[in-house]
Amino acid sequence: MTDMTEEQQKIGLEEAMARLEAIVAELEKGEQTLEGALARFEEGLALGKRCREILDRAQTRVRELLGAAEDGSLRTQEWQDER
Amino acid sequence: MPFAEERIYSVTDIVGEVRRLMEKGYASVAVTGEISNLRRASSGHLYFTLKDEAAQLSVVCFRSTAARAALELADGLQVVARGRLTVYEAQGRFQMVAEALEEAGLGALERRFRELVSRLAAEGLFEEAAKRALPRYPSRVAVVTSPTGAAVRDIISTLRRRWPCAEILLAPVPVQGAAAAPAIVAALEALSVARAADVVILGRGGGSIEDLWAFNEETVARAIRRCTIPVVSAVGHETDVTIADFAADRRAATPTAAAELVAPLCGEVERAVAALEGRLQGRMASALALWRARLERLLESYALGEVRARIERGLQRLDHAAERLSREVAAMVRARAGTLEARLAALAALDPRAILERGYAICADRTTGRLVRSRAEALAAGRLRVTFRDGDVPARVEEGSA
Repeated sequence: MTDMTEEQQKIGLEEAMARLEAIVAELEKGEQTLEGALARFEEGLALGKRCREILDRAQTRVRELLGAAEDGSLRTQEWQDER
Repeated sequence: MPFAEERIYSVTDIVGEVRRLMEKGYASVAVTGEISNLRRASSGHLYFTLKDEAAQLSVVCFRSTAARAALELADGLQVVARGRLTVYEAQGRFQMVAEALEEAGLGALERRFRELVSRLAAEGLFEEAAKRALPRYPSRVAVVTSPTGAAVRDIISTLRRRWPCAEILLAPVPVQGAAAAPAIVAALEALSVARAADVVILGRGGGSIEDLWAFNEETVARAIRRCTIPVVSAVGHETDVTIADFAADRRAATPTAAAELVAPLCGEVERAVAALEGRLQGRMASALALWRARLERLLESYALGEVRARIERGLQRLDHAAERLSREVAAMVRARAGTLEARLAALAALDPRAILERGYAICADRTTGRLVRSRAEALAAGRLRVTFRDGDVPARVEEGSA
């Protein structure tokens, strides 16, 4: 099984999809060496897996913005709604 | 008998009958004119005369209506009065009972709105070129709206249904009244500074122009343009248009439509990922076919013994792998049967690197990086790179090989 790099584990869907699309397009051009193709293939597998991981997240989390600190960071809490 | 059938009314009867006729004929009229002779009775009712160049009309405006009127009534003001005509029988005068009063022509808010639109447009605040594209797959969606209205509920339920993998950050703000605009500006600012979302939905449900006014404030329009995150506006119903809508990167007709605009359908994205994986696998299948062709050529040149047997085993493995691969692709077309993990594991099993593990090596031209597939190519290249399972070594075609 292909291991994902730290970086791939963190990236969002937007970026994972864009990279996967780029890899597929690149492989379909067929210009690279076999090693290159292998590396891209592995990367593509990992990205596909990352996409699915994100898509499989079960439930929407809703957080509520409480305010911003001096340094711009935000204070939030789980939104307790269903009023 | 000239007068035999003549009906003689009492004053009460004739005035009453005229009143009934008038109330039937003019139950709902709008009259425009200038207010004069305005008086407020101790009861709170207002009495005034509506006049123009040639005529005048008495108007009464009962206390409850007077309290609802948004404008400050004064002599000289041009108004449109809506209501009914009747006769005040005690004085035998006909008059209008006004049920609503508004300033004639454009209302004051309407005028401010138009002035601001043309000023900000002239400044380029609404330029199409300045509008940013929305992310295709937002992982964090910020929602700036009232935490109690129908809008927030519509947005959250739509996002949940379409795109449950996203996180929603709700920035609760008042959406009408004097506190609304500053709170909206502060929320956009905070989200922007913290880069706390990939896209922002700013909105509220429908209401009167007064209710929606915060979304027509210049400060809000500027905060939208200053925001580093793309903003989708969703104010009111289809027909309500605010300055926030002009300033936003995209305008949605309703809060639900904004959520639909922002969130793709999860199922569609899953299919898109599956399609990409299919193409990735397809590409790898062709790479395997290339390898196969190469091994077959090798087989022709090494006709002997152990090497030949190894190549034959390699070919079998490749055939086997290619079969599995095409089965995998077919399985995916059949609506993604089987789990992702199983598919990925199967793919990993096809990894050509496994073949290197079994003792084969990849030979490439050291200068161009291209695979060397034949004796002739090797002679032409001269300088080679041979890849084993654990790395490369440089190699050279011996002198005199040709």
